[in-house]
Amino acid sequence: MTAVMAMESVPVDTWHERVHQVKQRGFGFFDFLTAVDRNSFVEVVVHLVREDLSDSYLISTMLSNENLHIDSIETLFPGAGWHEREVGEMFGVKFEGNDMQKLLRHETLGLPPLRKNIVLSARVVTEWPGAAEPEIKQDGRKVGNPSRRRQRPPGAPESWLQQ
Amino acid sequence: MIHSFIALLPDKCTSCMLCVRECPAWCIHLDSHTEEVTDAGARRPKKINVLDSFDIDYSLCMYCGICVDVCPFDALEWDQHRALISDSRADLTLGITQLTSENDSAN
Repeated sequence: MTAVMAMESVPVDTWHERVHQVKQRGFGFFDFLTAVDRNSFVEVVVHLVREDLSDSYLISTMLSNENLHIDSIETLFPGAGWHEREVGEMFGVKFEGNDMQKLLRHETLGLPPLRKNIVLSARVVTEWPGAAEPEIKQDGRKVGNPSRRRQRPPGAPESWLQQ
Repeated sequence: MIHSFIALLPDKCTSCMLCVRECPAWCIHLDSHTEEVTDAGARRPKKINVLDSFDIDYSLCMYCGICVDVCPFDALEWDQHRALISDSRADLTLGITQLTSENDSAN
């Protein structure tokens, strides 16, 4: 694709309208819809491409954490329905107009796992293998441990880890 | 080469733990101890790490290759062997012997 990608951020209430306008301008191929957790807000992104793949268009909008509601664009691109359901499961965003039935996760599974404030339980209950340090031995007996500072697993927030 | 297996060259491994700590899947377990070695002519003995065990849990490994990249001594390398099929999770954890014998770096 020789894309000269245009990017635009729009207010939530003009989301459906703006996606519709861009589609009318020739970006008729729906590539993907996804979301990004920016901590203070959730960004919903849709990528549309010209049918000859010569150009593409990225439209994003910001949702406040308190109000994760946005209009569905399933009526414009039927294929977006599955992407919206996935974003709904993973980020807790509600797309108005889509049935939002669970797509991948079991109904009884709780909080949306791709939100940054959700603790990944495996990271809490599993002991980090990197915490081990070589022991100093003399004649097969342990005589000391060289670790002076505690190592932390990269990427896992401090608050997730057991003491 | 197909990147289907991560092979260990234990002689190059210094037990520095970099691969274990960088692994995003937490699938590498390494155990080692320090021994004092006196070289002929050296003024005082030096400490070396001796590798006791090295396990990759292939039920967790996602073949990202970060361990291969991060190893400063090239003790881990891609290999084209297929890593095993098993109906037991325990069989998917491979130790030094298996990680070495599967290695065909001659090719």
